[in-house]
Amino acid sequence: MSPQVRVALVAATSALAMLVLWGPGPRSSRANGERDAETGGHAHVPAPLEYADAHVPPSVWTDPAMIARGREIYAAKCAVCHGDSGDGRGPAGRALPLKPPDFRDRAGVAEMRDNYWFWRVSEGGQVEPFKGRGSAMPPWKGELSVQERWAVMAYQHTFSGHDGPHVPWEHPESVAVGRDIYAMACLACHGADGRGDGSVGPMLAPRRAPQPRDFTSGEFKFRSTPSGHLPTTADLFRTVTEGIRGGGGAVTIGLRGQRLMPAFRHMPEEQRLEVVEYIKSFNRGFWDRVEVKTVAVPPPPVVTAERLARGRQLYADAECVACHGAGGRGDGPSAPTLKDSRGLPIAATDLTRPERFKNGPRPEDVYRTLMTGLAGTPMPSYADALEPDQAWDLVYFVLSLSETRRAAGSHATGSAGGGGR
Amino acid sequence: MAERPRIAAALAVALAIVAAAEVADAVPAFARQYDLQCNVCHTRPPRLNRFGEQFHMMGFQIPSAARPGGLIASFREEGPARTVIDTLALRVVGGLFEYSESPRETEIKAEPPHEVALFITRPVTPNVSVYVELEYEPKAVEFSRRRGFFEREHRFGVGKEAFFMWNLGWLLGAAGAPTMEMGGQTMVGEHGKFTLHGPMLMAGKIDPNTNFSYPTNRQMLQGTELEIEKEQGEDVGTVHRLPVVPYAFASKFFGLFRDRNEGEPQLVTDQVMYNTTGAPGADLHAMVNDVVLAQAGVLRENEGVNAYGMLRVDLLDRRELALNVSALLNWGFGVARAPDPDDHRRPGPGRLDRLRYGLAANLRWRQWDLYGAIIVDRLYDLPGLLRRRFDRDAAGLTLEVDYLVHEKVMLSGRFDQLWAGGLRDEKRDGSVFSVQAKFYPWQNVAFFVRDSVNLRGFAQDNPLRNWRHQLFVGIDWDF
Repeated sequence: MSPQVRVALVAATSALAMLVLWGPGPRSSRANGERDAETGGHAHVPAPLEYADAHVPPSVWTDPAMIARGREIYAAKCAVCHGDSGDGRGPAGRALPLKPPDFRDRAGVAEMRDNYWFWRVSEGGQVEPFKGRGSAMPPWKGELSVQERWAVMAYQHTFSGHDGPHVPWEHPESVAVGRDIYAMACLACHGADGRGDGSVGPMLAPRRAPQPRDFTSGEFKFRSTPSGHLPTTADLFRTVTEGIRGGGGAVTIGLRGQRLMPAFRHMPEEQRLEVVEYIKSFNRGFWDRVEVKTVAVPPPPVVTAERLARGRQLYADAECVACHGAGGRGDGPSAPTLKDSRGLPIAATDLTRPERFKNGPRPEDVYRTLMTGLAGTPMPSYADALEPDQAWDLVYFVLSLSETRRAAGSHATGSAGGGGR
Repeated sequence: MAERPRIAAALAVALAIVAAAEVADAVPAFARQYDLQCNVCHTRPPRLNRFGEQFHMMGFQIPSAARPGGLIASFREEGPARTVIDTLALRVVGGLFEYSESPRETEIKAEPPHEVALFITRPVTPNVSVYVELEYEPKAVEFSRRRGFFEREHRFGVGKEAFFMWNLGWLLGAAGAPTMEMGGQTMVGEHGKFTLHGPMLMAGKIDPNTNFSYPTNRQMLQGTELEIEKEQGEDVGTVHRLPVVPYAFASKFFGLFRDRNEGEPQLVTDQVMYNTTGAPGADLHAMVNDVVLAQAGVLRENEGVNAYGMLRVDLLDRRELALNVSALLNWGFGVARAPDPDDHRRPGPGRLDRLRYGLAANLRWRQWDLYGAIIVDRLYDLPGLLRRRFDRDAAGLTLEVDYLVHEKVMLSGRFDQLWAGGLRDEKRDGSVFSVQAKFYPWQNVAFFVRDSVNLRGFAQDNPLRNWRHQLFVGIDWDF
């Protein structure tokens, strides 16, 4: 190769590298924001977490009494901007910088999830991104009860011409963004139908737990809700963000390589919410529950020797030893016989390694685990058995087990070193 | 020979580290970068599962979750030392012990590692990744100009692959196509209607087989080594025994040559197009609606160029069942030389074109993983004088089944069938059945024992069939 050709090749490669590194980045776009302009700036962004569980019971949408009540409210409070026929051309709406949406737009309404809709009615234009776009919509949460807001939504929904309930299984386009993310990132483990039956699971942990979650069942391990309840959207969001650590096994180095499920923390928050909404659409129970209860985590108290001593006693009294063993290594007498709700053998968690705790290693994570239990596993909820202060005692004792292990390790090392001197 | 003690010492250190794995296990670069266990992407290393295939297809990014700031953010957030450590990985593959048997003789050989590879690999930006493999081979076999082969003590250099992968979705966006930003990566399409991941440009020294239903660089049974026979006191050797490789991807013809100047033969088991040692080229692949994967590219091969296209359809992934099928079409322009019609030991003047087409499929169900390919080759532009003495059609079939008996034990079986072409006087068909048990004490370390059985009649004078069994005990270690 001649020197000239070599120089040209190096120059071309360098130019290509420069183009790759500093060249055109992705065009600014928003997931499912293509209709943003068409819908007058009413981007159907995911509802924030505080509204994400505010699903409307499916029966509301077709309940004649609710629709009739909604008609009255709409005429009194909404029609002036949204128009009598829901076309967004009410007399007061025409001059607004952000025009009211047209509820007759069947496609636009179908994309709008019920929790988004409830959020908009509740908070009006006082929240972003709508505030920045000049929305003049008033917040109605102070004036209308939850039932009344449902009623007015049910009436607005009638303008679209859709007769059934406004739910994802009637409007798959409302979770299309989440479905596309799911297909790439989740399907291989959780399967096309969300049953946890993708092709990866059986190879990941052959004939034993953990297996990928079956979203269609009522069993979700990682919750802030009481035993037997579905998780909150925030719980699912936390799992998607943090991933799931492996309970031990082959590759458990001190540095990295622990997770069984990736932490999708680099996925934009909006898209994590989108995929969570799609995951919820596998389970109609999220729409059937009227109220979402959560287990409160009180502020962590100060750790004292007395607290640890009480925790040690509770550890014995609550029969934690049976599964987790006296030293917390997951080697209790019952450990070899443990099975999950699918009948698969399941390991008792090694409590001396908090970095492997699937539900998180922080004191509040352990507290939550104790009080909610891990559905589908032999780990029960202690919400009825322990007072909050007792639970903290136990939490701190459990976390102290790792200190004990480390101390034992360093002691062993020290002894070995001493013997050599 | 001076290398032996050093290699033995290195192996001893390596084994000591493995023995201490409770406190110091090690994992390859991507597992470290994404804090994932090996088995998230592999059924068992090196074979990829469906998630791992998506990961590779998207340029070594967790699908929909690329780090927005790429390499620079990694430096900033995790520090230079960790970023560099997480970018590197080492792979050691070796037959610690080899036993080969024929009626003529029995050989037992203790071998140093076949190869030690250093990987430098990482996403640079959400849309750009690099993958470079540096390889050290203690017993590299290279062709000699003196019409034979010789063994060198060692070889170090760029390994099988060294490339960058670049997501060109933005380019289609600039041309007017609708785009979406999915987890930091640009994707073409509209949600709920049409989605296209990529096209990804992979350029450099590449082997584009990973997207095929039979991804040869991810198979559980690796190819064995070519064995050379040397006269005492001579550096130059000749081929004694051909390696056991997936015959579907072999060159399949007896009597061909790679080039004219050096007269290097194209061995019948040489892997061409797929499962190669990598070749300069460029490859574009894209996935449509998460169902159809299309791939096209060009590759250098010998004195010619390959142009190829591949289509894979992922038919289902539910009820613990995944199925995909692939079709491959390849035209090699002047990629081989026919033998001289008057002297078959020398390359002739004309270059041959090669048409290659084939089908592959992969079925996964529970702990079973079944994949296979049938590939047909036909040569064009044969010299007239050779036509009666040279069979220009050949085919190969490779079927592999893996079964995960236990979390740490993978059993594999592979059948390779070669319907050879080439010089009618020399050509022999081949049939080999191989079985392997692989034990993973840790996810990144595997010990394996393997036996390949020659199902055809023993042929003393033919390096494809002058053996009955080849038994190997080895280690495959990534860290």
